[in-house]
Amino acid sequence: MKSFSKMAYPYVVWMCIMIIMPMLMLVLYAFTVKGNDILTFQFTLENFARFFNDTIFPSVLWRSLKMAFITTGLCILIGYPTAYIFARMKPNNQAVMILLVTLPMWINVLVRTYAWRGLLGYVDFSSEMRVYVGMIYNFLPFMILEIYTSLSKIDPNLIVASHDLGADDGETFRRVILPLSLPGVVSGITLVFLPAVSSFFIPKLLGGGQYVLIGNLIEDYFITSGDWNFGSAISLIMAIIILISMYVMRKLDRGAKEAMD
Amino acid sequence: MKKQTIFKAMMAGSLGFLCACGGGSTAEEQFDAKELYGCNVINVYNAGEYIGDGVLTDFEKIYNARINYDTFDSNESMYTKLLGGSAYDVLVPSDYSIERLIQEGMLQKLDKDALENLELLDTIAVDMQKEYDPELAYAVPYFRGSVGLVYNKTNVDPAVIEEKGWDILLDETYRGRVFMYDSQRDAFMVAFKALGYSMNTENPEEIEAAYNWLIEMDKAVEPSYVMDEVIDAMMNGEKDIALMYSGDAAYVCSENEEMAYLEPYQGTNIWEDAMVIPASSQCPGLAHAFVDYITGYDAAYANSETVGYTAVNKQVFDEMSTDEELYGGVDGYIPRTGYDKDEVFHFNEVLRQELSDRWNKVKAGSN
Repeated sequence: MKSFSKMAYPYVVWMCIMIIMPMLMLVLYAFTVKGNDILTFQFTLENFARFFNDTIFPSVLWRSLKMAFITTGLCILIGYPTAYIFARMKPNNQAVMILLVTLPMWINVLVRTYAWRGLLGYVDFSSEMRVYVGMIYNFLPFMILEIYTSLSKIDPNLIVASHDLGADDGETFRRVILPLSLPGVVSGITLVFLPAVSSFFIPKLLGGGQYVLIGNLIEDYFITSGDWNFGSAISLIMAIIILISMYVMRKLDRGAKEAMD
Repeated sequence: MKKQTIFKAMMAGSLGFLCACGGGSTAEEQFDAKELYGCNVINVYNAGEYIGDGVLTDFEKIYNARINYDTFDSNESMYTKLLGGSAYDVLVPSDYSIERLIQEGMLQKLDKDALENLELLDTIAVDMQKEYDPELAYAVPYFRGSVGLVYNKTNVDPAVIEEKGWDILLDETYRGRVFMYDSQRDAFMVAFKALGYSMNTENPEEIEAAYNWLIEMDKAVEPSYVMDEVIDAMMNGEKDIALMYSGDAAYVCSENEEMAYLEPYQGTNIWEDAMVIPASSQCPGLAHAFVDYITGYDAAYANSETVGYTAVNKQVFDEMSTDEELYGGVDGYIPRTGYDKDEVFHFNEVLRQELSDRWNKVKAGSN
């Protein structure tokens, strides 16, 4: 057993170089001033002060969070009934429907977003509406798949039993199906909310630059401004928010699983 | 060995020249880059939508070489990638960006002996070059131009836009009908000029005033912030007014007769893009050959014809700007020169950071 664990060393080294190092660099940049050389660092909290003392930056953060919440909510609203309908179809039809949902994912998301830009050129939507269309289109399949998976795992005998015990369709759904499908909803939320809050190319391509989210702000500061310190500080704020959300999700997930037992 | 290399390179250059004078479509001479320069691959980093059809493959055939061609959408992103350690042999940045690269010692002085075609350059272009490369040591001009407004003649009254100039961007009538470059330099240039300041100002009050002008502009017309996408969009007439570089404007105006190009009376930015070779180039010999090839008649012709930017090769410029079949009579092909309110932009790191920060805020504050 011990000899096998040694085989993981290359992977550990790889992780250190590709994941840990960049994260450390990010933290270092976020807490230092511009123009340091390799040997001397001047530490500061100024980058964070600059973010929170401004009226615009926190409002961009708020806008990103709001957008991610609404996208996730709408994905559940559309995704749950869709997954429910799929789960009640004949097995063969189910496979076809799931294929149809996953099919667009074989094409690169950038290409699909460009296609949406062409399509949305024909309608008179505000830039905010365009971004929402793009976001929901892009993330909906993840939500449908997660919910469908947990719905299709429910033992049909449980539903029969529920009817036997005198529950009507509505009550069966509320007291049997819904609680059993909650883990799927929770992992769907994880898969939609986290990428949505940090997405930058969908608002950029569909919002015409009129709808700036936190991801766009990070990109602007890194790529065009060349201000890596402030860019890193924004990224770190973002990372902390994602960590907190993941913690909340795990709590929710555990709650959902306990409710099941 | 070295002498031989230079001799062959000169042969290559003069041959290109001869072909050009003969209007040449005779069989091109072949060279072997590997034999001449010891390497046969160069990495070229150019702006997007900025090269003629077939230019790269022709060069590859003539020199039996390979070009890795890469494009950027702004000088700033080019610089960031360069800092990140990407290795290139030829770059095509704008004037102010070259100024910065020279200051930071990132470029190598060009070997004039390997550049036979320099004498074909238009004197206007060489005069412009003195603004950012005073010794004429590091760069070879690629295209020149100005910045202005492309507008739809049927939907926007030419008399009104000419009278208002840049201030048309504060007119709520045009809300949702405007494209603006997502570039702090161009955006602030418009604001500075609209307010009657120099685009190279360091005066904090003037910068603050320009910032407020841009916020007002953002609220008034809610422009879409774009880069190269603006070319196709204006060709299809998607919106009525767009901030554009003269060359893209010439292309749009030649394809869509409803469009016209205006250089506002308040003055604008006149600029030049040029080819430079980074100090870190792994294959400078072939890079020089490439720079020289682009300066020659055939490539300059193909480049200017395809993308619509103003040629810096004198003969090509004369042909393009007079021939009705090409860009003769097309707005934007001949950028304004000699107008005292027009300016060349100069690199200023402090200013760049301040404007960049404010530009991010203008965009982030919208909605």
